[in-house]
Formats: sequence, structure tokens, C-alpha cells
Amino acid sequence: MSRILASAFMLAVLASPAVAQSVTVSVAADIRSINPGVNRDDNTDDFVLQLVEGLVGYGEDGTVGPLLAEKIDVSADGKTYTFTLRKGVKFHNGADLTSADVLWSWNRYMDPKTDWRCLSEFDGRNGLKVESVEAPDAGTVVMKLNQSTALFLDALARTDCAMAAVIHKDSVKADGSFDKPIGTGPYKLGEWKRAEYFTMTAFDGYSPLKTDGKRDGYLGSKRPLIKDVKFLIVRDPATVKAGLISGAIDLGEILYSDVPELKTNPKLEVAVASNAVRHAFLIQTRDPLLKNQKLRQAIAASMDMDEIVAAASSGLAQPNTSPIYPGSAYFGAVEKQGLKYDPAQAKKLLQEAGYKGEKITILANKRSTVPSFPAAVVAQAMMQAVGINAEIEVLEWATQLDRYNKGNYQMQSFSYSSRFDPALGFEQFAGPKDKQPRKVWEEPQALALIDKSMAVADKAERQKLFDELHKRTIDEVPLIFTFNGLDVLAHSKRVKGFQPWQSKLRMWEVTLAN
Amino acid sequence: MLRFALTRVAMALPTLLIVAVSVFVLIRLIPGDPAQLMLGDLATPASLADLRAKLGLDQSLPTQFLIWIGKVLQGDFGQSINSQQAVLPLILSRFWVSAQIVLTAVLLASLVAVPAGVIAAWRQDSTLDLGLVATATLLLSIPTFWLGLLLLLFFGLKLEWLPVVGYVSIGDDPWAGVLYLVMPILTLFLHEIGVILRMARASTLEVMRLDYITHARAKGLSEMAVLWRHAFKNAFGPTWTLIGLVLGNLLGGIAVVETVFTIPGLGRLLVDAIFARDYPVIQGCMLFVAFTYVLVNLVIDLCYPIFDPRVTAE
Amino acid sequence: MKTPAPNALIGGALIGGLAIVAGIGAVWTPFDPLQLSFRAKLAAPSAAHWLGTDEFGRDVLSRLMAGAATSVWISLLTVLLAVTLGTIIGIFSGYVRGWFDRIVMAFNDALLAFPGILLALGLLAVVGANKYGIIVALGIAYTPSVARIVRGTVLSLREKEFISASRVMGNSEAFTMARHILPNCIAPLTVLATSLFGWVLLAESALSFLGLGVPPPAPTWGNMLAGSRPYIGQAVWLGIFPGLCISLTLLGINLLGDAVRDRLDPRMRGMR
Repeated sequence: MSRILASAFMLAVLASPAVAQSVTVSVAADIRSINPGVNRDDNTDDFVLQLVEGLVGYGEDGTVGPLLAEKIDVSADGKTYTFTLRKGVKFHNGADLTSADVLWSWNRYMDPKTDWRCLSEFDGRNGLKVESVEAPDAGTVVMKLNQSTALFLDALARTDCAMAAVIHKDSVKADGSFDKPIGTGPYKLGEWKRAEYFTMTAFDGYSPLKTDGKRDGYLGSKRPLIKDVKFLIVRDPATVKAGLISGAIDLGEILYSDVPELKTNPKLEVAVASNAVRHAFLIQTRDPLLKNQKLRQAIAASMDMDEIVAAASSGLAQPNTSPIYPGSAYFGAVEKQGLKYDPAQAKKLLQEAGYKGEKITILANKRSTVPSFPAAVVAQAMMQAVGINAEIEVLEWATQLDRYNKGNYQMQSFSYSSRFDPALGFEQFAGPKDKQPRKVWEEPQALALIDKSMAVADKAERQKLFDELHKRTIDEVPLIFTFNGLDVLAHSKRVKGFQPWQSKLRMWEVTLAN
Repeated sequence: MLRFALTRVAMALPTLLIVAVSVFVLIRLIPGDPAQLMLGDLATPASLADLRAKLGLDQSLPTQFLIWIGKVLQGDFGQSINSQQAVLPLILSRFWVSAQIVLTAVLLASLVAVPAGVIAAWRQDSTLDLGLVATATLLLSIPTFWLGLLLLLFFGLKLEWLPVVGYVSIGDDPWAGVLYLVMPILTLFLHEIGVILRMARASTLEVMRLDYITHARAKGLSEMAVLWRHAFKNAFGPTWTLIGLVLGNLLGGIAVVETVFTIPGLGRLLVDAIFARDYPVIQGCMLFVAFTYVLVNLVIDLCYPIFDPRVTAE
Repeated sequence: MKTPAPNALIGGALIGGLAIVAGIGAVWTPFDPLQLSFRAKLAAPSAAHWLGTDEFGRDVLSRLMAGAATSVWISLLTVLLAVTLGTIIGIFSGYVRGWFDRIVMAFNDALLAFPGILLALGLLAVVGANKYGIIVALGIAYTPSVARIVRGTVLSLREKEFISASRVMGNSEAFTMARHILPNCIAPLTVLATSLFGWVLLAESALSFLGLGVPPPAPTWGNMLAGSRPYIGQAVWLGIFPGLCISLTLLGINLLGDAVRDRLDPRMRGMR
């Protein structure tokens, strides 16, 4: 009886014509809002950036290129940027994109009442200030800066700033409050049922940058080839797995440990890609014990990276002990030279450091999205093997983050979020601890090198600076990078052409076979 | 009866005030704050200060408390930091989802477990008793996250009888809505059978050794009559009270089941709010749960005379 | 005296077995329960590893044995703490009554209305996330239910004739409480304590599942059970064995608890 009912239920689902055109994607959490760059997290950015676009965006290798702009001219002094808009770009409501829309959007972001997350990046509080924005004609926008910097376009392209997306002024209600994003992206907002799902539909009037079918980060070919995409909120990875096997979910992130099992499933395909997230063990260089560089070097030498990474990633990842991620244009021969596993050397260094078995506590958390705990377990065993008295303290994530921000720890198993530009990647963990206790590395020479890399635009010169910084990180061991984040997804074989990239579920150029 | 109810509600007010104060203090004692979590490793001291100021977290704790409690007294529970929704409607909509699951599961479990518990006590130390106690203990000791997953794999994947993921509100589509609720209810049902059976058995054992049972037996009443008229009715009183406790606790503890079966309920809302340090939602949920708890136990107490002949007699 | 009931015998055997395993596990295990072995990840039960290995290649049997000692110790101390605190509070507030009772019970009800996880998280943050932190946090979290039940018993007793008689005879209040009220609380307390023991064993795994992650560094049955969940398809033994251990322990405790209560209940003295 029930089986008949269930089949009837299945039939009803299959029979509806929309199904062949729609895809269900599982996500671990609800979006926070649909207001670009205001109330956000990574998950929210991912969704919103399929609906809206900015003047510039990141390409596959983390370099910045024009998106709504056709070309960008920079003046000789590096302070004036002239954006020429692409022609024929339409908003979801059918209106044409003009420089007036860019101007309106920019002014809205720069209004403190909007609460744009990146306001302080552009209003001078962090150094850079956009002094004026003008629209000499309908297809041109000119931005004038207070200083020359290598990172202006990068800041504009940042996903946590929602690419400073250009939206139509009807996105805002008459009373000035935000309504819904009317952007230029390949998909339009569908329905949002809080705590259950959110959807988007293909925007027929989308004007792609290219149509060759080749994806390039947020640039390249971005045709919306699926009619409806439903993002279903499923928190428990075991439920996601069951949903994928049953066919209720077409695409979703899975646990590393589920890869072998799902690979053998005839209906599913598994995709694995490395991203710019960097997993690391942070070391408090002001700790009375760990301020001893020899001890830190001993810890580094005690770690067999191959084993740690294999165990923490279920054999899916490769070690990378550099702060620069392998997909970066700056990841070269020097960066490949990293830490060396040498237990004998570790024991010798321990002796030289005068280590007498004092306890070293590693903080870790058990979120399923990061390998914090498994990495700590293996590292603990390796440190113990050379005679370091290592212990693990498991904390809830918010508590660990608080200890991170206060610098209150000896070691912790941590993950740094993506930074595409290496200068920002270094700045993420280096800085004066007096002002910012969360910083790990405060060696003055290193900080000077980082500052320099932010001002210089020449690629070869920057490469030299980054190589030097990499070597210093390895030598001084303020932290130990282990490996990069992994996007591990499984999808139905019906879903064709999906490519994971930087943890983004890009649904353009994805098609459905029946 | 009405006066009794009103007195009870009045007596609950200090309890609710204590809950309000202690929740407020407790969640601020826990390290981590919502501003840090929103910014993650992007937090600069300046951006943290900005966000804290915007969320009103830069004011002193007593000020924050007075502002909050003042609004609550006017019926305004504030706005979620995470989703920027008004807290009270959010809680009410989630509560409805959780309540259908909890009430159905506990009701069904009581119907099965209370008679079973009485029988086990009646036949104390027999093989039947041992079997029932062993079953109850087994059900009790399988964590719901394991049990739920087993059911999911069996009914969802192997038999394909029930949908694996998602949720449809009964209001939107009654039939599909019920299909989505079967497994969560079954999970809780099985677990609660274990809990309630043991309670019913224990309270029947208490009653069975009271003098009047001996009297009844001495009077020559049949065992069935003793069991039904005296033991069962008397044992139901305390069990009923305990069921009230169970209901109250479950509303807080249903988060696990909601996680496994992707149910947008109150438990999950609270746990998520705790992780995100979404203070207004945590405070609102806690006050609400405490209030419900008081209310449920009041209703239980009012129903008590129906089941306990001794109370009716007075 | 009658020979013990079969239930009591089974319960005694289960708890005796547990005590022996925990005792051995505290001093000796076949393998080091913390020793990682990458070549033997998720190995099925075999001659070398009787109950298989976990995702880090650690021997499951050794971890269960070591975990027995830790789990039992944590549960015992937690129950002891909750029962001691709860009994003191319950007896005083039930016996003294008046405004003292009202204040105490308002606090008690407030604590009861708290979902356990929030209380545990808050208390753990204050006392520190380690073995003793868990004991203190869960102990305090369970105190109110003990206090409530003890108070209820005291209230129903205090008007009884033998209590008044004790007072009339000139016995002090403290003596009356210790001599007459406390023993009468033992029966309900035994039932509650045995339930508490089970809740503590499981509470830790539920906390772990929800991501509160408060496991002590050493293995416990609770965190083994929670950690086994992702491997339910590939290595089902990871969950079954700790689950069985918890089930059998609970069963033993319950059966034994029944027997102990029958012995201790004053009303049962001289009966049966």
C-alpha cells in the first residue's frame, strides 16, 4: 500500500514538466539576507553573486578582470580609474545598464545608512579613499583615489563586498529600505522560504561577457542554462548523502570520508577541487614557552605533513606549507619548497630550546566544514612522538574565534578564509599584536615587506617580495600551514558541466541531461 | 479552579524573571559575540567596534538588559541579529512546527508506554517485565541522531517509502506535509516509549505496594479489577506529571531530530542562535520555552484530578 | 530473606562485568587507545583488532575499555553531584517552606525550564571544557530535577504522623530530617539516579553531535558513538559497539536500581 502511495508520489514529482528544468542543490545554512554586501556570510555571497555583478570580478586564478566594464584605463599616477561600460547589458527588470546606475549604486554603498560591509575600505579609514565618482557620459564612470595602490580593483572585486555590485534603483523601496536585488546577473531571485530553501530562475535577457562555454571565475562565459535552481537547506551531512543517493538532491557538498563510497555509486559523480582557504596551526609567539623560535621549529620539524594531510583530508588533499595557495599566479618554485619532516632534527632542536616537557595545548573545534579536529589529533600524535607534551582542547567555534581575536592560546588548529592576492593573504596573519591581538606574526621586517608588496604593481617585483616572505614564514614558524581547503561535492550524473571553484556553487554553464 | 490557575500563573512570574536575567547574563558570560562571528577572520578592531556599536553591544550590560526587558514588557522581543526578522513571529512559526512533532510523538508514546509500564510493574520480575524493561532501555539508549539516521536509510533509501530531505508545511499540502513528518515523529516516538515506559512502571510499583491495593486484593477483587480500578488510575497521576516534564524538556531537546530531518523548528532555531550568539533570538526562545514549560505543567496539574481519584475525592 | 529476583541477578552480572572491564581498562588495554595507525584505518573486526579500528586506525576494543573507565567515572561523579546538591536543596526547601522555599523553587523551576544544552554550554564556558567541566556542568544541569522530586516527597511526608511524633518526642529538626525524611526519599531517588546515569552517558554524545564538541581528550563511549555517525555506511561497528555498551550498562543499572530500591524502601522493610 505504502509503496504504491510512494510511487504515486514519485510519479507526481517526475510528471511535472518543471522538473526536467530544475536542479536541487543542498546548502548547509540559510542565507542571511538578499541585500548585497550588507548582512552577509560566504553562503550569502555565493547566492547573491549569481544575481548581481560588479564592474570587475575575480577570474579563475584570482586576478581581477572587467565584468560589467568593457575596459579599465588607469592614469599614469595610478589615482584615476576610467571604466567603460559594456553595451547591451540589461537589468532583470529590462532596463539598460548606464553609468547613472553605477553612480547611484556607489553612492548608496558609500552612505553609512546602507551598512555596506566594505565601507571602511573605501572611505579613507583604512588608508584608501575614493575621492570622487563621476559619469561624464552614459557609458563611462571615472573614479578618483587619494593614493596609488595595487589593490584597488581587488578590493572592488571582493566577494564579501558583493563586488560592489551595480543594482537598479528599483531594488530599493520608496521609503529607502531594501526590497530585492534587481541586478544584471545570469539568474533572477525566485522565492525565499526562510530556514527551508531559496530559489533562482534563469534571466533570459542576460548579456554574457563571453559565450564560448568556458568558465573563468566570476568572468568568462556565464550563460544560465537551467531554468530553476532550488537551494535546499540541509545541515546534517549524513542527510545530504542520503538525499544524493535517493535523487532528492542533485548536487551538494559531501564529507571527505564519503568520497570513496559515493564514487562507486552509478548515479553520482564526485568533484574535488582545491581552493584558497588555508588550514594552519597558529602558534602564539608571545607565549612564554613558544616565543622560543627553536621550539617552534622543533614543532614544525615533528610534523609529517604527508600523513597529517592524508589523515585530515581522507587522502584527497596535497600538503602546501606556503601561505600562497597553489592556484595563485604567484605560486612558484620557491613556494613549493616548504617545511621538512625531520624527527631527529626536531629532538635536537627541543634540546637546544631547553624544552622540559611543558604542556602545549592545541585548540580545535569540531565543525564539519573544516578539518580542525582531525588535523589536531594527528599533529598531537606526531608532536608526542618526538617528546612534546601536546594536548588538545576542543572548543565550540565561537569560543575558539574569541580566543583567536584575543590572541589567548598556545596553538590552535585554524582555517584562514580565501584571499586571492598574496599581499592580503600575508596581511591576514601578520601585523602588530599590540593593536590587533589576533595577528600571529609581528616581525617588523616582514611587516615592512608586506606593506611594500601592497604598494608595488609590477608582478615580477611582487613575486620576489612574496618569495622572501614565504621563506621567512618557514624559518620563523609563527604558524604552520598544512594544506588548502577542498571543495568536495557529489552530483547526479544528469547534472553536466558543474565545476567547483573557490567553494562557489556557480550554476551558470551547467546543464541538465535527461 | 480559575483562581488556582491564576495563582499558578502569578507564581510563575518570578520564575520567568529569573529566566530572563540568567539567560541574559549566561549568554554574555560565554566567550564570543555576534560581531566577531559575523566578521570571522576579516575582523579588524575598527570594523568590530563599528558592528558592536550598531548592534548596541557597546553599552553597559545593565543598560542593555533594561532596554531589552523594557521592550519585552511592551511585547517587542526585538530583531534577530542574523536574519533581521522580528523575534516573536519567528519563534511562533517555528514553535508550531516543533509542537506538531513533539505532541504527536509524546501522545502516541504515552498510549503505548503507559499500559506497557503498568503491565511490567504488575508482573514485576517476570520474563515479561524483563523483556519490556530491556526493550525500553534499548530504545532509550539509542541516541536520536543514530535512530533517525537508521530510519532515514531504511524508509527513505532502502524502501523509498518516505521522502529523504526537505519539509512541506501541513498547511500548504496536508498529504505531503504528513509524509515529511512521519520519520521525525517515529524517531521521537520510539525514544519516548523508552522514557515513559520506565516512568509508568516505576510509579505503578509505588502504588502497588500501598495499603489499599492489599486491601483490594484482600477483598477478593480479581487481579484485573485491582489493576484497572486501582493501580492503573493511581499510577497515571504521577506519570502524567512526568509526561509534562518530558514535554517541556523535549521542546528544548528536539534540535537533534530537526537537524537530521531538515525540519525548520524551534530547537534548531535555538541551537543555531546559540552558535551565532544571536542574543535577541536566544533570549526570546528561552523566555518562550520557559513560559511554555510553565503553561504545560499548569495544564497538566489542572487535568490531574481527572486521573487521580484521591484528588477528586478531596 | 528471599533469594534475589532474576532481574537483580542479571543487573548485578551486567554491572559486575562493567566494573571489571572498567577496572582492567583503567590499567591495561590490548593496544594504546590513542595510538594512530594510518595503514589500519576503518579496519573491520579481525583477529588482531577484535572490534575493528576507527577512522584514525585506533583499536576500538582498547578505546571501549579505556572509555568504560572514563565514562563510568564521569557519570558516577555527575550523578553523585546532582543527587547530593538536589537532595540538600529539596529537603531544606520542602521542610523549611515559607519564603525560603518559594525563592529556591523559583530558581529551581527557572533552571528546569532551561534547555540542557544551553546550560551545559554556558557552564562549560565558565568552568572549562574538560572532564571535570563536564561533570560540573551536567551535575548542575540535573540538580533541579532531583531537588523537585525530593521536595515533593518531603511535602507529602511532613504532615504524616511519624514526623509529628518525632517532633513531639523532642527530636531536633536535623535529626528528624536525617532519621525519617531522608530514608523515604531513597526510593524515588534511586529511580531518578539510574535515569540520570543513562542521561549523562548519552548527553555527551548529543552535545558532540550538535557541534558543541566538549569531549575530553580521552575516549568516552559518548563521543565514540557521536564520532561514528559519518561512517555508518562504511564501518557500522564503530557505532554498534559503544551503543551496545551504553545499552547494557543502562539495563544493568536499571535492574540493579530496582532491586536496591526494594531493599532500601522503608515501607518494604519486613515485607516480601
